[in-house]
Amino acid sequence: MVGIMNPVSREKLASLSNSVKFAIDLGPKLELCRQLKRDLLEEDAAALSEFLPRIFDLYSDPSGPVRKLATEIIGEIGVKHVEFVPEIAPFLITVLEDATPAVARQSISCSIDLFRLTLEKIAIQGLHSSELDSDLESSWSWMLKLKEKIYSIAFQPRSGGIKLVALKFVEAVILLYTPNPNGSPEPPPNEGTPIEFNITWLRGRHPFLNVGDLSIEASQRLVLLLDQLRFPTVKSLTISVIVVLINSLSAIAKKRPAYYGRILPVLLSLDPPSFVIKGVHVYGANNALKNALLSCLKCSHPSAAPWRDRLLGALKEMEAGGPAELALNQVHKVNGSVEDEKDHSSVIKEEKLMTKACDAVGSNVGRKRSGTEDSSDMAENDDVSGKRVKSTPSVSEESTKELNRNTSMSQGDISSTHSTTRKVDVDTGPVQQLVAMFGALVAQGEKAVGSLGILISSISADLLAEVVMANMRNLPPTHPHTDADDELLEDMCIVGSNTQAKYPPSFLVDVVSLSSTFPPIASLLNSQQSVPNEIVIQKTEVDEEVDVVAGPNSTVAYAGMAHEAENALLPGMEKIDVPAQSDIHDVGNLESGIPGLDSSFHNDGLSDAQAASSLVSTDQEDASQEQGTSFGGKSPLHVLPSISIERSEELSPKAAVNDSSGVVSSTATSVVSSHSFVLPKMSAPVVNLSDDQKDDVQKLAYIRIIEAYKQIEVAGGSQVRSSLLAYLGVELPSELDLQKLLREHILSDYINHEGHELTLRVLYRLFGEAEEESDFFSCTTAASAYETFLLAVAETLRDTFPASDKSLSKLLGEAPCLPKSVLNLLECLCSPGISEKAEESQSGDRVTQGLSTVWSLILLRPPIRDVCLKIALQSAVHHLEEVRMKAIRLVANKLYPLPSISQQIEDFAKEMLLSAVNIDAAEVTDAEGLITESHKDSELEKPSNEHQSMSSTGKDISADVLQSETSPSGSSPSVPEAQRCMSLYFALCTKKHSLFGQIFIIYSSASKAVKQAIHRHIPILVRTMGLSSDLLEIISDPPSGSENLLMQVLQTLTEGTVPSAELIFTIKKLFDSKLKDVEILVPVLPFLPGDEVLQLFPYLVNLPLDKFQAALTRLLQGSSHSGPVLSPAEVLIAIHGVDPERDGIPLKKVTDACNACFEQRHIFTQQILAKVLNQLVEQIPLPLLFMRTVLQAIGAFPGLVEFIMEILSRLVSKQIWKYPKLWVGFLKCALLTKPQSFSVLLQLPPPQLENALNRTAALKAPLVAHASQQSIRTSLPRSVLAVLGLSPESQSSSQAQTSQVHTGDTSNSEKDAVAEISKESSGGS
Amino acid sequence: MVCSSNQNRSMESHYLLKKQGFDVSSYGTGTHVKLPGPSLREPNVYEFGTPYKHMFDDLRRKDPDLYKRNGILPMLKRNLSVKLAPQRWQDNAADGYFDIVFTFEEKVFDMVLEDLHNRDQVLLKSVLVINLEVKDNHEEAAVGARLALDLCEQIEAVESWEDSIDDIMISFENKHRRKLMYSISFY
Repeated sequence: MVGIMNPVSREKLASLSNSVKFAIDLGPKLELCRQLKRDLLEEDAAALSEFLPRIFDLYSDPSGPVRKLATEIIGEIGVKHVEFVPEIAPFLITVLEDATPAVARQSISCSIDLFRLTLEKIAIQGLHSSELDSDLESSWSWMLKLKEKIYSIAFQPRSGGIKLVALKFVEAVILLYTPNPNGSPEPPPNEGTPIEFNITWLRGRHPFLNVGDLSIEASQRLVLLLDQLRFPTVKSLTISVIVVLINSLSAIAKKRPAYYGRILPVLLSLDPPSFVIKGVHVYGANNALKNALLSCLKCSHPSAAPWRDRLLGALKEMEAGGPAELALNQVHKVNGSVEDEKDHSSVIKEEKLMTKACDAVGSNVGRKRSGTEDSSDMAENDDVSGKRVKSTPSVSEESTKELNRNTSMSQGDISSTHSTTRKVDVDTGPVQQLVAMFGALVAQGEKAVGSLGILISSISADLLAEVVMANMRNLPPTHPHTDADDELLEDMCIVGSNTQAKYPPSFLVDVVSLSSTFPPIASLLNSQQSVPNEIVIQKTEVDEEVDVVAGPNSTVAYAGMAHEAENALLPGMEKIDVPAQSDIHDVGNLESGIPGLDSSFHNDGLSDAQAASSLVSTDQEDASQEQGTSFGGKSPLHVLPSISIERSEELSPKAAVNDSSGVVSSTATSVVSSHSFVLPKMSAPVVNLSDDQKDDVQKLAYIRIIEAYKQIEVAGGSQVRSSLLAYLGVELPSELDLQKLLREHILSDYINHEGHELTLRVLYRLFGEAEEESDFFSCTTAASAYETFLLAVAETLRDTFPASDKSLSKLLGEAPCLPKSVLNLLECLCSPGISEKAEESQSGDRVTQGLSTVWSLILLRPPIRDVCLKIALQSAVHHLEEVRMKAIRLVANKLYPLPSISQQIEDFAKEMLLSAVNIDAAEVTDAEGLITESHKDSELEKPSNEHQSMSSTGKDISADVLQSETSPSGSSPSVPEAQRCMSLYFALCTKKHSLFGQIFIIYSSASKAVKQAIHRHIPILVRTMGLSSDLLEIISDPPSGSENLLMQVLQTLTEGTVPSAELIFTIKKLFDSKLKDVEILVPVLPFLPGDEVLQLFPYLVNLPLDKFQAALTRLLQGSSHSGPVLSPAEVLIAIHGVDPERDGIPLKKVTDACNACFEQRHIFTQQILAKVLNQLVEQIPLPLLFMRTVLQAIGAFPGLVEFIMEILSRLVSKQIWKYPKLWVGFLKCALLTKPQSFSVLLQLPPPQLENALNRTAALKAPLVAHASQQSIRTSLPRSVLAVLGLSPESQSSSQAQTSQVHTGDTSNSEKDAVAEISKESSGGS
Repeated sequence: MVCSSNQNRSMESHYLLKKQGFDVSSYGTGTHVKLPGPSLREPNVYEFGTPYKHMFDDLRRKDPDLYKRNGILPMLKRNLSVKLAPQRWQDNAADGYFDIVFTFEEKVFDMVLEDLHNRDQVLLKSVLVINLEVKDNHEEAAVGARLALDLCEQIEAVESWEDSIDDIMISFENKHRRKLMYSISFY
């Protein structure tokens, strides 16, 4: 930009800064500021000098963000135009005091850049000229002031965010003030090139800056920084300050290695636990320290080298050994010097031995834990210090001897051993300790047999498998020198002979097989032969290591290493065999082409193999004895195969088929070889395998192992080994295929192959992998493998095993977790037809199987209880009766009593119940699936648990309860559907009676079909429930609309039993208070006292005829216990006692009731009627229907006529004519019963007789005729005769008289009588 | 939000925080983006920068059932609604500076810190790096995202985290019983 400022832009800037000043809202203000910043930075110095005050003004803004931005702007201006520093620096100093931390921090941030720039500028100017520009000088002095100010912040014991940045500032200054070893020692030729400033440029020729002074200051500041981290100052710091300090210091150490020696001691002495400041939070600082140390470790500067060991040790303590070594390796890759290599290896060695020693100690401890009987022996062993003194000389002697013997060992071998041992040592977990423990035990020989056995039996099979797997790393990855082999082999043979001489053969077997898997043990055995003192064997091992650690002498170290190497080689015994066999084998069997594999293939079971190997070793012993020392002539390699073939033929005819079999290796070896096979074979000179081939090899190997396992099962003792198999199956890289193989093996004979145990082991392995891997994709893969495996096994179990088999249930119960697909499988099992492809094979038994599995899962696996419950519930509303009944039985009898899930079950059942009610015109469901068959109840009932008692005390819903609903009658198609939804609820009602109330509630709104379904259920339901207080409560207050239901319930309740007093009381109360319908009383009528029934009679009579008849029947039959409540006579009398007017009951009802009685002639017999009439006639007033009943009685029983006449005459004496209605009936009766009634008629007083004759003209003539008889006529009074017209003189007058007297009422009664008669004739006939 | 592949954990948090209105980015520190394949040995490997859509289509073509079942496809679908492609932390210098960096694995935490240390620290702008250990599966990622959001909200609520970060951390740890680790670095 040119010198003269563009006036437009100046104006613009002015207005911009003004608008910033007056902007009110923070958002736009900041935006304006940013714009101002952009514009300002493009301006030149002259313009800026004008604007600087304005920007300083901006700082007076009340809002923090604006002040921060203003500071930032000023800082950037300063960076661009150093000449403003004298103005800017004081400003920044004031800003340091800003109340808002962010603004103050910004000030420091700006200061760092400014300081660096000023320093650079002044330095370079000083280099070129001896005079300094005064501006620059004042800038510098201001910068120094600023620096001091920031220092004071950094070292003040105050906390807060500003301190963090201040510390960073200190770091920057220290870095600036000290020479950078990696920077360029010369200043850049031209100023433009961006190169990092390096104080070495000055070299004392600067007029103003003294390098010495500067570095003194830097080191003073460093001391101050370090002091902060020292105890006890560190205690007062916050974690964030500590983190920043550690980071800064490590950065300084890294960039200025000269300070290594000062910084590292402080860092290393930082004891993480000591800076637990506010209780919990220490990880952050810990981690920072770890990273700092790691980064220091990576530093390749020579002055850092001496610190490496200590760094490593510290990191190891912080459990970062792995990355530390990695870092170290990187360093060495960079350096690559021989010296360092040595250094490195010694470090590693040291480390290794340390851990080894630890392991040994650990093993002692571990043995104590296992609590064996020969504790005295162990006490002896534990006495380390005492023995050490004694054995040390012999050990060193021994080690040197070994060193001599192994002089032929190449360096390469050593390094290869390193690589393996280091791998092992990286994770010294419990498994490694166990490995060491085994080693130690085996080393003790005979005495430890017992403890060994106990140890093996006391640890879990899984752990044992892990031990075996872990130990495989100890096998040599490469095939060692043949020379050495021979020698080693020889050693081994001697060992064999030694041990055989001393130990029982069984132990020999163990030792040999173990020694083949445990290199350290083998080495111990090896040393055993030369060290006479057996007890010190283990000690020797430890002591050796201690010696090596203690002695800086590299020869000793190498001796130890050589020893190690030898150890590693020892188990190679089997390995040595391999090529020998392959030679033979390749000839005969070319297509297999994979040497070594065959050796394991022909194993005939572990025990055999073990025996074989033991025998082999004995033979070897023989052979070696026979051949004496002249091994040179005949290689043992040749001896071995021949013996083995012999042996194999003897022991296993199967193996003999393949004559080239090598049974030399034990089964342990077979496992071993398959695993370590990958490595040795790859490096073996014979074949170079492609990746595919490798896969094939692994697969084949695994198949062989599996094959071998089939034989192990025959021999027994597969418990431990199946763990190993599972481990291998999962561990080997091409896991999918192997798992399939494993699966096939398991499923080919689930029971005999201990399929369940094996499956579980595999599942647990996979599950562990899926859970433990934090890596997203591997854990997903493992989870998916897990799912596949479990599902495949479960499906096969389902399809191949009979339904009664418990394997599936057991598997699902014990598997670590159940993925969704497995649950789906279960669901399909429980509710056939869910998926379209449900096969017909899923019979009821399968459902039972599924349900019992679900049941056990619900009991055993609380986390998936809900899901399982859902499955069971779905099944409980299944459309097939058979399925549903089974599920309901499970849910109601077994699950519902569980308090934790009962609510859920209840809710579900209720929901279904309501859904049934809400179904409009439910869809036509196929009712043909109603199958009734006998079920294996035992299937569900069998498993015993604590709930058994509960369910057995509560009434189980027997099968017939559920089956009753299946009785096909479905008039409405939706009845089955309603039943489908409601069955579960009904079943629950029997368990919890209060639920029953809900049915009453829904009843009124239910559709016809639903009602029908309910009615079908009720009798059984109620009978099962019996009368409980809950039920009583429901009965006492039934919702309106549920009367029919209530009736049914009551009927059911009273059927065949005597209702309890409470029930009767409740019903009566209900009748009295709420429900006036007498119908509800009908069921309990037989149980009511007679007088109460009589009171109720009007209501009963008022019932519809059919109901009355039913009630009548009940009354007359009574209950089986108490007999009839009322006699028929009482009933009839009661009916006559009903007064239509008083009781508000239509006469018709009463007559109907009477008729109903008369219909039952077998009950209402002649005698009874007579009795009734006899009683009725005495009543005053006479019952309204009396005459009607008399008439009916005559109609029904003509034989009663004589009796009736008696009645009639009594009526006459009762002046029957005074009851107009009865009078009519009387006359009718007389008419009907003529001629018998004449005598009665003639008893009437003359006026009444006349009336009667007038009314019933038909009577007159026969009566007159009757009366005309001489005998009768004479007995009649005159007045009567006059009425009859038998005394002519009085006849007409009396006739007129009576007609006058009775005119008024006769006309009425005449009509009444007619009506009466017509009624009677219609009702009575 | 940083995890190793910028797929599951970081994206879950990115998604959630973005929804809550935070200014958020997400990265992975791995060398490649690895997704589970049919077996452990055959992972699906993509370069950073490969659009999620591309991965989605690719995997859907390969085996829709498998990837639907293990949740990869739904995850990718979620991711492609959040941003275009996975980004690598180590290449994010151009994206400006962040106030807070969340990592979900200690390894990632270390890598982020190392990367920050190796950068030129010119701005001297402090950045808080927090590690919240979250297991790499879908369920845990969702839990982790909620925790991260909670923590972000708490930090957002204070004026300057530099002064109160220890308290926030301690209260968070007590509340959720989750171990946190943090460090401070500078841009």
